[in-house]
Amino acid sequence: MAESADLDSEPEVARLLAACARQDRQAFQRLYDLTSPQLLGCLIRQLRNRALAEDALQDVFVQVWRRAAQFQRERGSSWAWLIAIARYRAIDLQRRERRLVAGGDQELEAMPAEEESHDSLLALGHRVTGALNDCLNALQPRQRDCIVLSYQHGMTHAEVAESIGEPLGSVKSWIRRGLAALRRCLET
Amino acid sequence: MKRNDPDILDLLAAEYVLGTLAGGARRRFARWRDADPFVDRRVRAWEDRLAALAFRLPPVSPSPGVWVSIERRIGFAPRGRWRAMAAAAGAIAVLALGWLVWQETRVAPPPAQAVIADQAGAALWRVELAADGGLIEVSTIGTVHYPDRRALELWALPPDAAPVSLGLMPASGRVRLALDDRQRAALGLAANLAVSEEPPGGSPTGVPTGPVLYVATIARG
Repeated sequence: MAESADLDSEPEVARLLAACARQDRQAFQRLYDLTSPQLLGCLIRQLRNRALAEDALQDVFVQVWRRAAQFQRERGSSWAWLIAIARYRAIDLQRRERRLVAGGDQELEAMPAEEESHDSLLALGHRVTGALNDCLNALQPRQRDCIVLSYQHGMTHAEVAESIGEPLGSVKSWIRRGLAALRRCLET
Repeated sequence: MKRNDPDILDLLAAEYVLGTLAGGARRRFARWRDADPFVDRRVRAWEDRLAALAFRLPPVSPSPGVWVSIERRIGFAPRGRWRAMAAAAGAIAVLALGWLVWQETRVAPPPAQAVIADQAGAALWRVELAADGGLIEVSTIGTVHYPDRRALELWALPPDAAPVSLGLMPASGRVRLALDDRQRAALGLAANLAVSEEPPGGSPTGVPTGPVLYVATIARG
């Protein structure tokens, strides 16, 4: 699939990002074409509204253009850097919106076609690179669910607790222990 | 927070990346990260470790207006030719530039297109033939229920001839399919497109083997 993003494109994304740091506008457009669908997928999942997500996507790429020179490849992958900018932007917007309309219903429009239930996360596991997937599979199911939910939806502890119907204290400790186990697993 | 407590720092970095570090603690941690390369490295390590989770989410193609807005916000000038013409226009430069930018952002109608809808009339995909006829672009515009472990294949239906495969349909997002001469010829004659359900990778025989799920009429501009 021509537009599907995956880690195979990492060298190309890194090269384009380096060109953006030199103010290469064509490289910036190519970077946008290559990475914007995956980033928009993340933003829609978190913001649950396509129009808000597209506004956030603008903010993300304006930031990418301005901060490209700060990207240091030796500290991590370029895809991960882009995804982090998008996720943090969405988290900021999510938390700001919740302060404004506390308890307001979120719009559910524009959810992507492949919306998967929490139970079927593992069914899509083949799309995740091996190491993380293996280590997620090795976690206790509740630890894994809490981590995946908070990462993909940008949920706080309280929102994860509400979403899976478990006590807040349990969710906090599952996430903490799950993350520690994940790091140990990924480092071995 | 002491940075010489590596386990606590690492947990904070992980919860910052995850998003569960919230409120004032999140803002303080973000400032600490900006100021301290040691903290930044721990955060980047977690961003790397978890990024694969983002690839589980289906990609979605942005509307064309998003790129136009980004260019405007960054201050990219319109491309060279437009700029030269606008400058030459002298007193009406501002008006001309406005018109040219508008022209540039307009999408020319493709020479042929079709919208594939389900039985209830809900649009699922748009299929557009590129101006030079060399490729088609298939964009997902609705919620597609892609059959489990099966492929959906797109066919041109030329009159009085066998269907010709054009490629596989995306479950989400957008694909561009390059056409060879045979496919171009079939598409040029066809009045309709069809989508059939096939084994993974598409029909093994070159003709539809599974049920035809959708048929759409080609509109030519």
